[in-house]
Amino acid sequence: MRTRHAVHCINTEDSLRCALHHINTHCTRLKRSQPTARKFTDKHEWILVEDGVGTVGISQFAQESLGDVVYCGLTDVGTNLKKMEEFGTLESVKAASELYSPLTGQVTEINDALADNPGLVNKSCYDEGWLIKVTVDVPSELDELMSEDAYKKYVKALEDS
Amino acid sequence: MLIRSNLRRVGLLSVSCSRRIAKFGSSAKQGLILQSSSNNVYENLAVEDWIHDHMNLEKTNVLFLWKNLPSVVIGRHQNPWKECNLHLMRKEGICLARRRSGGGTVYHDLGNINLTFFTARNKYDRMENLNLVIRALKSIEPHLNVQATPRFDLLLDGKFKISGTAAKLGRNVAYHHCTLLCSADSSLLPCVLQSPYSGIVSNATPSVPSPVRNLSQVDSSMTCDVVMDAVSLEYSAHYNNKPSVKLIDPKDETSFFGISQKKRELSTWEWIYGKTPKFGVATFFKIAYKESLLDVKLTMDIRNGYIETCSIELPEYWIPQDLSKELQDGLLGSKFCPKETTFLLSTLLRTCSQDEDVCAKWNLLSEKMVSIM
Repeated sequence: MRTRHAVHCINTEDSLRCALHHINTHCTRLKRSQPTARKFTDKHEWILVEDGVGTVGISQFAQESLGDVVYCGLTDVGTNLKKMEEFGTLESVKAASELYSPLTGQVTEINDALADNPGLVNKSCYDEGWLIKVTVDVPSELDELMSEDAYKKYVKALEDS
Repeated sequence: MLIRSNLRRVGLLSVSCSRRIAKFGSSAKQGLILQSSSNNVYENLAVEDWIHDHMNLEKTNVLFLWKNLPSVVIGRHQNPWKECNLHLMRKEGICLARRRSGGGTVYHDLGNINLTFFTARNKYDRMENLNLVIRALKSIEPHLNVQATPRFDLLLDGKFKISGTAAKLGRNVAYHHCTLLCSADSSLLPCVLQSPYSGIVSNATPSVPSPVRNLSQVDSSMTCDVVMDAVSLEYSAHYNNKPSVKLIDPKDETSFFGISQKKRELSTWEWIYGKTPKFGVATFFKIAYKESLLDVKLTMDIRNGYIETCSIELPEYWIPQDLSKELQDGLLGSKFCPKETTFLLSTLLRTCSQDEDVCAKWNLLSEKMVSIM
């Protein structure tokens, strides 16, 4: 009986520990999977950080001013980028526009869909038309970027000038 | 008509990095006109890179005028095998260069002027530049029927292209450059811009071929010198400047610190061919040997100019299988280039076979392989 009780206790303790672990993991996952808000550079790139990896693309304003993108020349996976270092070029209407990394980090993925369909950058610049994914090596650099509201004001000032 | 003597030509420009550049930027918005003393395409493209990388264009715009010896210039994201006739160019000694700007392939020679308009990135306006060129052309020939298209070409009489545009937008500086055909070799131009290669599968930016015309065909007085002077005067007038063109030498490392390195980069195989967007080749060729005619199927993937995958279907009765396997293995990781392929094939043959029959077939195969590169 005692033994059984003890076993029961251990079991309860185990399940409790187990449940706690689950809750913790779940919370961490919840916390980690919650993307930070999209941040912007003054060169019109955006970055959205999720699970420690930033997805980078260009803004609606940038895609509109570029016109139809016909080629996306992006750097290779594994490239180490410094903040504001060039990571590729977009070509539209005969113009090659350089792209700059919003943060310091390593390129973990490039959007392969753009090879056959560069127009995705125009069609869906905040979603399917993303460009690269980078690790966030210096999280404090995120604070130096513009929030969506600040970027909206920045663009408005540009358009008005 | 404006004549050359209207312009004051001054000697070598002394610009050496930031200290001197600050001098150009010190006065209110102004336009600086530079003209290259070189006709070397790589040197002139290096000047563009140098200005782009080192000059502060917040207060000064720059117009750079240059001409090249016969050369073909492809856009940043183009495939040279798809855009031009590399065999003919090698035979005629025509250079191939890759620009850093977008757009399509153009032919340059001393009958073509290149105009590069540099501005701060936020002042970049291609139509404004083209309108300036149109005003300059009309100052020579008021009845010239020339218009800019939505793709920033200049068309003569609504159908003949006299100018093509490309641009590069950098961090703080942008440039727009355009060609202007005055008296280019119109017989060579269509031949070199016609690719003889088939079976190239690529996402590279394609050129849009157009019928072209030289300005001198319309008005014989429209030579390169006259047109360049007219553009310079119009540019100076735009900034209320006294017309003045500064002659610069792209080889002058003391004025343009680091420019020779820029030229070297632009001349490398890795930049010109290696920057070609990933592409595939899927082609057949026929090899006639003695009484027989053989169909050979070749497929390859080329990344950064290097052969990444390769398959050549050669029947065993024709070439020993081990030799054919050695060839495919040897091609992997080698440059997609005639010199390297010829060298590889001849080395393999020397080490693998002395058989006269095999030698003859191998040479035919080598010739065909090189013909697609």
